[in-house]
Amino acid sequence: MRGMMLLRDVSLAVLVCGLAGAAQAETVQVGQLADYSGGTADVGVPFGQGLIDGMAWANKRGGVTVELDTVDYGYKVPRAVAQYKKWTGGDTKMPAILGWGTADTEALTGFIARDKIPYMSASYSAALTDPTGKSGKTKPAPYNFFYAPSYSDALRAMLTWAAQDWKSKGKPGKPKFVHMGANHPYPNAPKEAGEAIAKELGFEVLPPVQFALTPGDYTAQCLTLKNTGANYAYLGNTAGSNIAVLKACKNVGADVQFLGNVWGMDENAAKAAGDAADGVVFPLRTAIPYGGDAPGANNLKDVSKNSDPTGNAYRPVHYVAGVCTALYMKEAIDWAAKNGGVTGENVKKGFYQKKDWVPAGMEGVCKPSTWTETDHRPMLNIDLYRIRVSGSTDAPLPELIKNGTIKLEKVATIDLPRKPEWLGW
Amino acid sequence: MASTSLLPAGDFRTTYAADTTIFPTVTSRNCAIAGVVLLCLAPYFLSQYWISLLIQIGYFGVAALGLNILVGFTGQISIGHAAFFGFGAFSSAYVSTQLGVPAFFAIPIAGVMTALVGLIFGLPAARLKGLYLAIATLAAQYILLDFFSRAEWFTGGSIPASAEPFRLFGYTFNTDRQYFYVVLAYVVLSCLLVTNLIRSRDGRAFVAIRDHYLSAEMMGINLTKYRTLSFGLAAFYAGIGGALYAHYAQVVSNEGFGIERSIVFLAMIIIGGVGSVMGTLMGTAFMVLLPEAMEWISADLRGSVIDDMLSFNNNIAFLREIAIGLVIVLFLMFEPDGLAHRWRQIKAYWKLYPFSH
Repeated sequence: MRGMMLLRDVSLAVLVCGLAGAAQAETVQVGQLADYSGGTADVGVPFGQGLIDGMAWANKRGGVTVELDTVDYGYKVPRAVAQYKKWTGGDTKMPAILGWGTADTEALTGFIARDKIPYMSASYSAALTDPTGKSGKTKPAPYNFFYAPSYSDALRAMLTWAAQDWKSKGKPGKPKFVHMGANHPYPNAPKEAGEAIAKELGFEVLPPVQFALTPGDYTAQCLTLKNTGANYAYLGNTAGSNIAVLKACKNVGADVQFLGNVWGMDENAAKAAGDAADGVVFPLRTAIPYGGDAPGANNLKDVSKNSDPTGNAYRPVHYVAGVCTALYMKEAIDWAAKNGGVTGENVKKGFYQKKDWVPAGMEGVCKPSTWTETDHRPMLNIDLYRIRVSGSTDAPLPELIKNGTIKLEKVATIDLPRKPEWLGW
Repeated sequence: MASTSLLPAGDFRTTYAADTTIFPTVTSRNCAIAGVVLLCLAPYFLSQYWISLLIQIGYFGVAALGLNILVGFTGQISIGHAAFFGFGAFSSAYVSTQLGVPAFFAIPIAGVMTALVGLIFGLPAARLKGLYLAIATLAAQYILLDFFSRAEWFTGGSIPASAEPFRLFGYTFNTDRQYFYVVLAYVVLSCLLVTNLIRSRDGRAFVAIRDHYLSAEMMGINLTKYRTLSFGLAAFYAGIGGALYAHYAQVVSNEGFGIERSIVFLAMIIIGGVGSVMGTLMGTAFMVLLPEAMEWISADLRGSVIDDMLSFNNNIAFLREIAIGLVIVLFLMFEPDGLAHRWRQIKAYWKLYPFSH
């Protein structure tokens, strides 16, 4: 009997050692919430694929092997919460999560802070940028990270550009700015910040114009724009409804410079909107779009081959942003593995290690980003691009890009000051 | 709504009290008590994932119970229930963080606040019926959602509102396992209250209105009063459910209280059984677990031989959504009386086995 006990203990010890050994082989599981089937699937699919391809590419280059557990939660809060519990409540607790939209990020903010799990979202609300809550504008979000200018900072940059644009065109009087979007947390997130800086910059701020998050007939809204004589209009919604607005305004003949938000404009949206999208200015999260020229551009093509071995696919801006997001997460995990093990707390510290951080191999692709313990605004240097559409957009997207029918043209780079009063707002 | 009596032959009721008893037999009462005791032990042997699903079933179940008072017992309709759920969540967050009321009291206060709002939106119910009433409640849905995004002092606007964790005598219910007991207590309490409500004078008035409003009025039942009251009660439970959700997530954002959630509430009670307390919980469990079950299946399918052969790739997600819809449709076709009815039939089968004729 004693022998049996001993045997059991030994085999247990072997098992435990084996498990520990496996842990040293450095494979960690990271959850990925994706929206492939819900309300934001149009941009969720390329972003999700970017995360997957980026992580696969980085895994091949060494370090910790990060296995992504990709779950499509259909942009539904209860499912995101249940999935989160599955990832964190079992025997193994995931050290980090790659999240997606406003809905899941906000629903999980409290849980991740309690469980100490870094959560990299594709929701760029300024409310997520204050890790300590010192700004007093929002509650602390110590474990929320994202790679992008916040919605508010992007709008501030676009308005700064718009003020310059107005001056350079030598137009008389005050330019008029209008905030457009649904009455919903996502379009509303940068509203106050935008209207405040617009006033500072000498804009006349018109009453906001509302349109739903879904495509529809927005002729009435465009007539309002035309009648009030708005010069610059911020499109706060996601691409689908923005396209409808652009088309309607083209028909009405409203002469407005549209400022798209980061999720509101991309190559696919330009193709769908056709010449109505021509001229829209929007922020780019990466230093170049896909196919641009940079030291890391070839590596980006390699990343893309993970899901497209032919290498012919064209990747929209959201894909490239997804790749960068995945690589920051990977390097933070690698740092944690070398500095005390891959736990949520160490991965969080991993984000604070470098200033003007660009993931290895992605020089000139991902924009230099800095996270600190008191400030989670990764970038205040914001590139603005303009969509150029010349001609019919019926052909497939790779062709349209190749023959230059759809072009992304750099307009300006705006350096916003890192003002403490803009933190969390 | 068809209920078959399962009383053994010779068991006559000799008093009115016996006629309105909650549990028809001693065994059923013992089973219910055993069920609650078993649930009390759940945190010790279930994983956190399952506990979180049970919590979800709990807070949605309480809210769905409210909708069942309105739809199942009073015969009204509401497609704005999720907005009341949201109002409860925001109220409790507001009362607990801005006014500093402990969550223990904030939850019932949120229920009362939501009930008052429900009474206001229930006023049209005094005059409207059927489809017209449905549209009136749809308005409630949109008015409240708009209120959520505008009333920044109350909801935080685009910044989500935070809610204090649940505390009792200095003890914080922070983890899922602890919070489970709070939700369980509310579920048990709500079920008891609703069951007793239906046995009361007011409950009988509700049922009378449902069965034939004209006859009810002729018998002296104040239609206006009871229809509005029914709305208030429905909103009360929605508010309690929402408040439970708020203190669970500790963050309330404007997302997730839209019309689709209202429809899901309706689906819960239709699938569970209109006019049945237990059916409500069954239907809630069904609607919470169905997407999860489909996710398990699609997770197994991903990368499997079938996936390779048919090259689904990302389309699995769409197949899953289609399957969820399909299951609901098939369910309604083959189980139109809901899960509660099926449950009664299963019980009857075993009771009479093997001589079912």
